[in-house]
Amino acid sequence: MASLTAPRSPLGSAVLLVPALLFGLLVTLQWRTQADRSDVSLRRTAPLLDAARSLQDEQNGLKTQLADLRAQLDEIQRSASSQNAVARDLQVRIDELRRAAGLTERSGDGVVVVLDDTRPAAGVAGSDAERALCHSTDLTDIINATWRGGAVAISVNGERVVGSTSVYCIGSTSMVNGTLMAPPFSIVAIGSQDQLMAILDDPAQLADIKRRRDAHGLAFTVTRGAGLKVPAYTGALNVRSATAR
Amino acid sequence: MRTISGGVSAALVALFLGVLVVTQVRTQDVYSRSLELETPASLTTLIANLAERNSELGREIFDLRLRTEAARADAASGTGTLSEAQRQLEQLEVFTGGTSVGGPGISVRIDGPFDEKALSDLVNELRNAGAEAISMNGLRIGPRSWFGLTVDGALTIDAVAVPGPWTISAIGSPDVLYVAMTRTGGIVGQFELIYRGTRFVVSRETTLELPALRAAPRG
Repeated sequence: MASLTAPRSPLGSAVLLVPALLFGLLVTLQWRTQADRSDVSLRRTAPLLDAARSLQDEQNGLKTQLADLRAQLDEIQRSASSQNAVARDLQVRIDELRRAAGLTERSGDGVVVVLDDTRPAAGVAGSDAERALCHSTDLTDIINATWRGGAVAISVNGERVVGSTSVYCIGSTSMVNGTLMAPPFSIVAIGSQDQLMAILDDPAQLADIKRRRDAHGLAFTVTRGAGLKVPAYTGALNVRSATAR
Repeated sequence: MRTISGGVSAALVALFLGVLVVTQVRTQDVYSRSLELETPASLTTLIANLAERNSELGREIFDLRLRTEAARADAASGTGTLSEAQRQLEQLEVFTGGTSVGGPGISVRIDGPFDEKALSDLVNELRNAGAEAISMNGLRIGPRSWFGLTVDGALTIDAVAVPGPWTISAIGSPDVLYVAMTRTGGIVGQFELIYRGTRFVVSRETTLELPALRAAPRG
């Protein structure tokens, strides 16, 4: 029978056999350790995931309760204050402060900033992939720039930015006002569109974000918006240690 | 022509449904998906943060429930609800920076090169640890305050130049604030690595006095 290839010596086959065996062994080992690892990490993270989700659900419920109590107290105050002039003046001042504090919804013209991380392409590792992700400092930088541009109300993914607001980031999950969120981030700012655009378009502002957008594909867009809505703050005021002097 | 127009509308409907499904999945599960990627250590930190927030909300709900009952009783007896109104006014004035405030907390002294981004990070970290009022070198930092740099590199708060060295005062629980700033791998540790020539001193304070904002937000 005619062979298609040149007859091989037994030695030549052995040379191929050894690396093939080694390769097979490596693949099997790799596959097994990966399978084991994901089993272990799943076993450990599953209850943690459940705990995080149920705490977030609980928080949503607590915020609804708080909003409900604030509305009740407000109604009692309002009907009582209609009866005398001192109380009426006080109520006017309270209403003004509630607006300034971010406890009321705001609507108007302004800008919308969208920030999203780009999934790093395969093979892009380390610092390059890191630069394509968005971080909590990006959000604080954008908030800082929009206040600078004269914004009167700002929200991040529906969470109102108030005096006690912080942006907290761990891994790829963020918290604003203690509420879990993840990219894409939509920052809505109500205020003078021209003034806001002037700051956000200024190359000296948010320079790091703009550099990463151009070099690493970080998604960052700024658009004008009309009739925008920024919701009321629903969290705790948490004034405990500080007293007015 | 059943084939072409039918095909086009079927394609449109399919496209629309596809977009709907994708946006639905994205908005509904957006944090859930990112949670699944976290390590057990990160999840534990997130859970601790969520639990702290929830107990804060619980405390405020408890407080507000008592106040609502008191206000209701006052209104029913005809004595008026001035005390509740005063209380609300004071709380909101503290929250918006409209009044000078006092209380315990911490101070952070910074001597050496520092910039506006680092200041913004520090204020964010203080707020995350529950700071109720913050000032720097006698200038109150408000809900809408922003940080910048002058052309010659001095820090600004709401366009007012504040030359260093700086002392940031924050009212809140001294222990919680102190630990949040100084813990291993915390913000002060990071600053010490980045600004090597700068000295950072964090101390607990029993009484701090912070001024009101120069221009408090009005509505």
